[in-house]
Amino acid sequence: MSLRRRLLALFALTVFVSVAAVTGIVSAMARSAFDRANDQRTAALVAQFRREFARRGDEVSRKIQAVAATSESSRIALAAARPAPDYSVFLDDAQTIAETQQLDFLEFVDDQGTIISSSQWPAKFGYKEPLVTPIPSADPFLKEEETPAGPALGLFAIRTVPAGDRKLCVIGGIHLDKTFLASLELPAGMRVLLYENLDRNNFLPDHLIGAADSTIDPQEFAPLIRQVQQTNVQQSNAQKSVGEAGAVIHGNANSNSGDDADETVNAIPLTGESNQLLGVLLVASSRQIYTELSGQIRSAALLAAAVGLVMAVLLSSWAAARVTRPVEELAHAAREIAGGNWNAQVKSTSRDEIGQLADSFNHMTRDLLDQRDRLVQAERVAAWRELARRLAHELKNPLFPLQLTVENLLRAREQGQQQFDETFQESASTLLAEISHLKTIVGRFSEFSRMPQPQFQAVDLDQLAGVVVKLHKAQLSGVGRPPIEIRLELSAAEPIAADPELLHRALSNLVLNAIEAMPDDGTLTLRTCSSRDSAAIEVSDTGNGLSQEDCARLFTPYYTSKVGGTGLGLAIVQSIVSDHGGRISVNSEPGQGTTFMIELPANRDKLPTNTPKENP
Amino acid sequence: MKPCNLLLLAANSLLWLGVWSGVATMPALAESRPHYGGTLRVAMKEAPQTLDPAAAGVPASISRMIFETLVALDERGRPQPLLATLWQSDLGNQRWRFFIRGGVSFSDGSPLDSVAVAASLHNSNPQWKVSAAADMVMIETESADPDLPAELALERNSIVRRSASGGKLSGTGPFVIAQWDAGKHVSLTANEQYWAGRPFLDSVQLDLGKNDHDQMLSLDLAKADVVEVAPESIHRERAENRMVMTSEPVELMALFFAHDPSSEDETHARNALALSIDTAAVNNVVLQGGGEPSGALLPNWISGYAFVFSAAGYAAAGNTTAESMDRARQERAQAKHVLAWTLGFDASDAVARVIAERVLLNARDAGITLQLISGGSPDLRLVRIPPSSSDPHVVLAELAKVLQLPQPHCENDSTADLYSAEKVLLQSHRVIPLLHLRSAVAQRSNVHDLNPLPDGTWSASNVWLSGEKP
Repeated sequence: MSLRRRLLALFALTVFVSVAAVTGIVSAMARSAFDRANDQRTAALVAQFRREFARRGDEVSRKIQAVAATSESSRIALAAARPAPDYSVFLDDAQTIAETQQLDFLEFVDDQGTIISSSQWPAKFGYKEPLVTPIPSADPFLKEEETPAGPALGLFAIRTVPAGDRKLCVIGGIHLDKTFLASLELPAGMRVLLYENLDRNNFLPDHLIGAADSTIDPQEFAPLIRQVQQTNVQQSNAQKSVGEAGAVIHGNANSNSGDDADETVNAIPLTGESNQLLGVLLVASSRQIYTELSGQIRSAALLAAAVGLVMAVLLSSWAAARVTRPVEELAHAAREIAGGNWNAQVKSTSRDEIGQLADSFNHMTRDLLDQRDRLVQAERVAAWRELARRLAHELKNPLFPLQLTVENLLRAREQGQQQFDETFQESASTLLAEISHLKTIVGRFSEFSRMPQPQFQAVDLDQLAGVVVKLHKAQLSGVGRPPIEIRLELSAAEPIAADPELLHRALSNLVLNAIEAMPDDGTLTLRTCSSRDSAAIEVSDTGNGLSQEDCARLFTPYYTSKVGGTGLGLAIVQSIVSDHGGRISVNSEPGQGTTFMIELPANRDKLPTNTPKENP
Repeated sequence: MKPCNLLLLAANSLLWLGVWSGVATMPALAESRPHYGGTLRVAMKEAPQTLDPAAAGVPASISRMIFETLVALDERGRPQPLLATLWQSDLGNQRWRFFIRGGVSFSDGSPLDSVAVAASLHNSNPQWKVSAAADMVMIETESADPDLPAELALERNSIVRRSASGGKLSGTGPFVIAQWDAGKHVSLTANEQYWAGRPFLDSVQLDLGKNDHDQMLSLDLAKADVVEVAPESIHRERAENRMVMTSEPVELMALFFAHDPSSEDETHARNALALSIDTAAVNNVVLQGGGEPSGALLPNWISGYAFVFSAAGYAAAGNTTAESMDRARQERAQAKHVLAWTLGFDASDAVARVIAERVLLNARDAGITLQLISGGSPDLRLVRIPPSSSDPHVVLAELAKVLQLPQPHCENDSTADLYSAEKVLLQSHRVIPLLHLRSAVAQRSNVHDLNPLPDGTWSASNVWLSGEKP
């Protein structure tokens, strides 16, 4: 990945992380604030409900007390006190009185629990009302009342009317319905519903009552109500006072949860005298404000992120223009120099660190050029000196015998013709041999200096290796010596561009050196491999190996460890490899054999078009 | 003063004393004797849209003031001559001859003759073959009908002269239609030419469509002289010292199933329902004793054997005791698969609602599920069937007709035959009789001789008002 893209990614990531962090923090704070406000409103509404419940309970109690104090109640009580009371005349009394007192439920029950008159179910006369045995407390209470239309939930109170040693029970109440809910003053965004838990184990959608129920979907509240039913929160004390409902259970309306819910719903269990769950008051607080706020925050965050991304692109582009271009120019210049163009320069357009780096690079390049020139000159001088030394060394050997022979001839001439004739033939032979030696030295020197430039062709290295091995088969067979094992590991699938003759010569030199390094026996291994851009040849032997010193000087002209060697073979190999643009190296340890590795570039661009592949 | 003068003075004083005493007692004596004059004001709940007796819904009390039948039934249900003086039957009671009373005319002045009678009877009974001849009308029925005279006493067989357009109705009754406001008010004036003698009243004003409360209020405010009293109000109104006249228990209140039992299980369930209903509690409490629990279709005062159907062993409603409820539960237990039933009732009748709810409770105690509905097509219905006659055969036939049951077949008019016919109807398990309700009217003290008939109807033909100057 380029620096420009890394900068872009870094800037973008920074922007996103920052925006996300800020958005998250703001959203969390907003949610927390909303939840606090919602809890306060809910607590206020619950408190209001409890007050209203208590007020209604007191109202019911007063009404029942008023009913109990009427003459009708006294008349009924007196009738009930008789030995064989006739309740038939009182059938409609409860209904009449209930209408007067605006009660939804009213029953007159004797102390045996027999219903004398019932307003909510007149036909129930004579049936038993289990509530009065024993008579519950005087406080108002919730009760599930059976009516012809089905069970109904009501707020009840009970009073007794004494009549001698008997008593009449007056039980009445109001229906907890829409009217009751409508009496609750609700803040904006809140609504209250009442679920009549008349089926203890199941959720009945028809029993969910709302103050304005045109849009209620009961199924939204089913999970919460089932939770309340299962939990059936019990308080340690009996429900002595209305409004002391069970612990509030929180939930969400609709199938979504968390912040996506439309409402936060608090469920308040309403229990009866025996702590049975009779109803559930649902206080729903709209999360619309929070949802809208969250949406706004999210939109702002997205906008900020988009702006940030645009700025990141612009900034990264500017940074790239400011930073990466000079660096790229530097890198390009470095590549130029590595490729051999020592004159590559970097334009310095600023005075900052990048400009200083460019100046330094240019300065370094110039210094390198100077040093290279000096080095080249020095190497040239050194090479000439080495060559002169080698030449002097090589020439000195045959020159000394020449001098001795000429001096012998001069002494022999002074000693007489006979002595001179005896010495002349031997001396002449010696002179000719040494002159031939000198000519060989000069010839090799001349040959080394006239190494031709490679003529590139497509060369199959595997095939070349096979030819070289075949050429030296005789030496490898070991006439007069133990045979040498040949191991070929040829896998150069791709031909390369090379001079087949020069490569043949280089490979032959290496093979001959390897053979000579294994005078007894051994194994000669040739390996080839190639890739799209390069190829490699390895020649390994299992001879005595070379020391580190020998390895360092191995490719120096005229350096040899062989008796009678010219010291130019490996230099020629190196020269050929170098002319191909390759590299040769040696890996050897004393006693562990030697391996020469030649790495050659493919140089396919140097192939002339339609050049057939030729091998020697 | 001379002795003779004293004697004359004493005699004069005595004479005047006697005169004034007589004058003082004359109103009391006069008040106890009927006299002509006055307008009887009546309030009624029914609101008929027509006064044609051939149409359903016309109260018999109104119809009888305007129209008359060939035959009337006495308090024992025996046919008596009215517009027909004599009748004969032959062909095994399949052909009847009725001799028309002479000297009777319709309120429009036209004479009552056999042609008019035949036309009227044909209008109300198209299936009869009615022919007129001289002063006689001959009626041929499709089958033997020994109860034809009693049938002719039904209000729908009143003799009516209908105008060509059908809008004007004329009868031979003691009163004539003076003004008719359909469903609201009808004014009747005395028929001066009434063949049985002009009625005492000059007129009768009937306010129609008044509920019980408004009727009683009218009575209390002296805006009405006669009002109807619902059965459940009889006891209370009497307790408030109102003058209430009641009839025998005549109106049948029953549970009627829309269909025959579909299985033996359902038959058991229906029996269980009948046994579970506490009709005594309904009568004593809901109706305040305004009826009579009964297991029969015909009230006992008509049939004489109604008590038989309340006996144990016969699956009919009766006074519920613990034993009866146990029997109901046992009967219910024999029904393995029974669906819940819907019970329909008249939603405008508050008493019917209470009775229906009581039936629901009793049924629930026996393990039968009922659901109350006030419309639609319920499985069973709480019905009230007013009496049509005091002849038992006619009543039974009319009940079967109203309840859409097969017509009872009686070989003769014996009680045993009647009992068998009624038993067949009850064994169809389509109807569960509950009670027979009384009819009642409350009247002001100035109304005299308003005597309700046993069948719950009353007639104003002999009513007179006291305290009204002619």
